[in-house]
Amino acid sequence: MSKEKVLTKKDLRKAAARWLIGISTFNYETQLAPSVVYSVYPCLKKMYSNEEDLKKSVLNQMKYYNTMPWVSPFVIGAALGIEDEGGIDSLDAVQDFKVGLMGPLAGIGDTIGWAMIPTIFGSIAASMGMEGNPLGIFLWLAFTLAFLIIRILGYEIGYNQGVKLITQFGDKITVFTEACSVLGLTVVGALVASVVKLNTGLTFTNGDVVMEVQGLIDGVMPSLLPVVALAVIYYFMSKKKVKMTWMILFIIIASMIGAATGILA
Amino acid sequence: MELTVIQIILITLVAYLKMTDTVTTQLLAFNTIICGWITGLIVGDATTGLYIGATLQLMSMGVVAVGGSSMPDYPIAAIIATTIAVTTGRGMEAGLAVGLPVAMLGVNLDVIYKIFNGFLMRKEQSLAEAGKFDQMLRVIKISPIFYGLCSALPVFIAIVLGPTVVNQILDFMPAWFTNGLTIAGGLLPAVGLAMLLMYMPFNKYWSFLLVGFVLTAYLGVPVLGVAMVGLAAAYEVYKSKINVAVEGTVVGGLEDE
Repeated sequence: MSKEKVLTKKDLRKAAARWLIGISTFNYETQLAPSVVYSVYPCLKKMYSNEEDLKKSVLNQMKYYNTMPWVSPFVIGAALGIEDEGGIDSLDAVQDFKVGLMGPLAGIGDTIGWAMIPTIFGSIAASMGMEGNPLGIFLWLAFTLAFLIIRILGYEIGYNQGVKLITQFGDKITVFTEACSVLGLTVVGALVASVVKLNTGLTFTNGDVVMEVQGLIDGVMPSLLPVVALAVIYYFMSKKKVKMTWMILFIIIASMIGAATGILA
Repeated sequence: MELTVIQIILITLVAYLKMTDTVTTQLLAFNTIICGWITGLIVGDATTGLYIGATLQLMSMGVVAVGGSSMPDYPIAAIIATTIAVTTGRGMEAGLAVGLPVAMLGVNLDVIYKIFNGFLMRKEQSLAEAGKFDQMLRVIKISPIFYGLCSALPVFIAIVLGPTVVNQILDFMPAWFTNGLTIAGGLLPAVGLAMLLMYMPFNKYWSFLLVGFVLTAYLGVPVLGVAMVGLAAAYEVYKSKINVAVEGTVVGGLEDE
């Protein structure tokens, strides 16, 4: 039941720009579905001359959908490609395709886009900012602006390459994610030493000499206490499944006790 | 110092635009430091703003909202903390003491807004079923317009009421409380780092963590420099794995015989 494809590059660019409505429509029932409808509506309208078919298609796009907004253009673009070819008979395929891809892509998108990029650029901007230099902020902004181009082109890439691309890219993207993790881990290693700060104020008297415990610890290894703190926190969060909010609260209380007793400084 | 009306409006606007960007164009999503810096520029002390923004940036690291979950609104903590620190002249501790609790409470507004979006969504569905598509699109457009209030409202209240109330509260605050907050500020980045380690293949690639640590702890290389080393390592890993992944078993079958 394939039909003539009607969408042009201009339509897809427009849909991509409209997708910048982003996660503002997030709701707990259908998640990002209203944003999808907003993005693709002009395309759907062009595809269907029949009012009833258009309604069916809009309601189909209004079903549950959620993925990381920066990778979503590829998915929606490819979904538009399927629908433009298959028409009203392809609605189930469109929905299955979207649901099938949104999970894996959200996992990759969240890890790279929301965990790794803000960590790397944020820590660079912060370490420069601590010294009074705001340029790191613009380095980060330059990156997100450059990525905006990819987000806009995603619709066209997805539409033209379609299912083929995303399945082919599937193998590569695991390797890509893994390579990004290597970069991420290297930076995290640097951050343990430069960002986490923990010192003890304990002293003890040895004869007439007052010894500072911190000085002794520094003699063993730089940043020893931060490393220990990270190991303990990691243990509780990953092995004991302590929730982040509790961990934060616990640390604040422990810090106050430490400050009151003079153990921490 | 006292804030002028224009300063209050500008600071509230920064909060509004910050949130609007975070839920739409996302050019500055999770960028806490810029909020501190811009607020600093508005209140006339960019250096303090930058420093507070940087501190909160590090505290919020790894604390990310994925899959539609809500997280403390650290950027507004930076906006409020900078404003309070500069206007009261009592430094970052005083700013954080007000900014952090407001940021934590800000999560609730986010949840409420997402519930409100749910009402809109049901309206959109019924409009679509009735074939009133133009009206449906107009309802969808409501969401991005008011989302910014989730940040703008708490900031407005905090900076208007803030300075007077804060001074009174701070006079009561014991030293262990403010000192404890400073110590916690140094420790909290570890929570974010632990979260990151949980996302990443730590068991497989822990050796790179060690490389980064040694570069900074022993040699004092700045983060940007370490990131370059990490990039080099990442490229090598990518290169060595990509052929295996794409070509499968074909790799290694080209012996010159």
